Amino acid sequence: MKPLNEQISDVITHEPVAVFMKGTPQMVMCGNSHRALQALHAAGAPITTVDILPDPRIRQELAQISGWPTIPQVFVKGELVGGADIVEELAATGELERKLSEALGEGYSGAREERVIALAPA
Amino acid sequence: MPAGYPDTTSMAAMEADTIRGLLEAAFPEATSLSVEDRTGGGDHFQVTVVSPDFEGLPLLDQHRRVDDALAAPLGDGSIHELRIKTKGTA
Repeated sequence: MKPLNEQISDVITHEPVAVFMKGTPQMVMCGNSHRALQALHAAGAPITTVDILPDPRIRQELAQISGWPTIPQVFVKGELVGGADIVEELAATGELERKLSEALGEGYSGAREERVIALAPA
Repeated sequence: MPAGYPDTTSMAAMEADTIRGLLEAAFPEATSLSVEDRTGGGDHFQVTVVSPDFEGLPLLDQHRRVDDALAAPLGDGSIHELRIKTKGTA
């Protein structure tokens, strides 16, 4: 098993849209994670979510990697876009869809099932 | 109000003023600055800062500047949740 920080980096690098959140899309455990998900859903983003709640080390390692202290964190093609406020604001202005098209190509919407990845802290 | 119970309304107001003070110190050129206690509990805040400091900065970096300005209350847990809205002045 890879170390936790590598598991996190892998998700950030390989998933088109990675969302580190509290809970899962089926059971969201935080209002801010909910806001970020809503904005991403509205934009049709093909998201992959990671629940940070099972182990506090996930959040610690993630903050080390991203330099961003809070949850949720949304990455598009490996690049940190922001948390709930930024994603919501980008969605409201249409900037989020433009960003997604630019990074993932036109027709990104609905091209892929939503995924949930469970990390395995050592 | 019974004696011995803190007046949460005025505590919250003080908190908002503290946050406002930190933001004013960090963004002296801000043209607009507001701090709203979203729940009245003194720990969930919405801050809005309009300042030339943000001109040309990506949104992510604008928010980072605000996080940095409020690093102390964020770090010690006195702010549980912070919603940020930033804007340049151009």
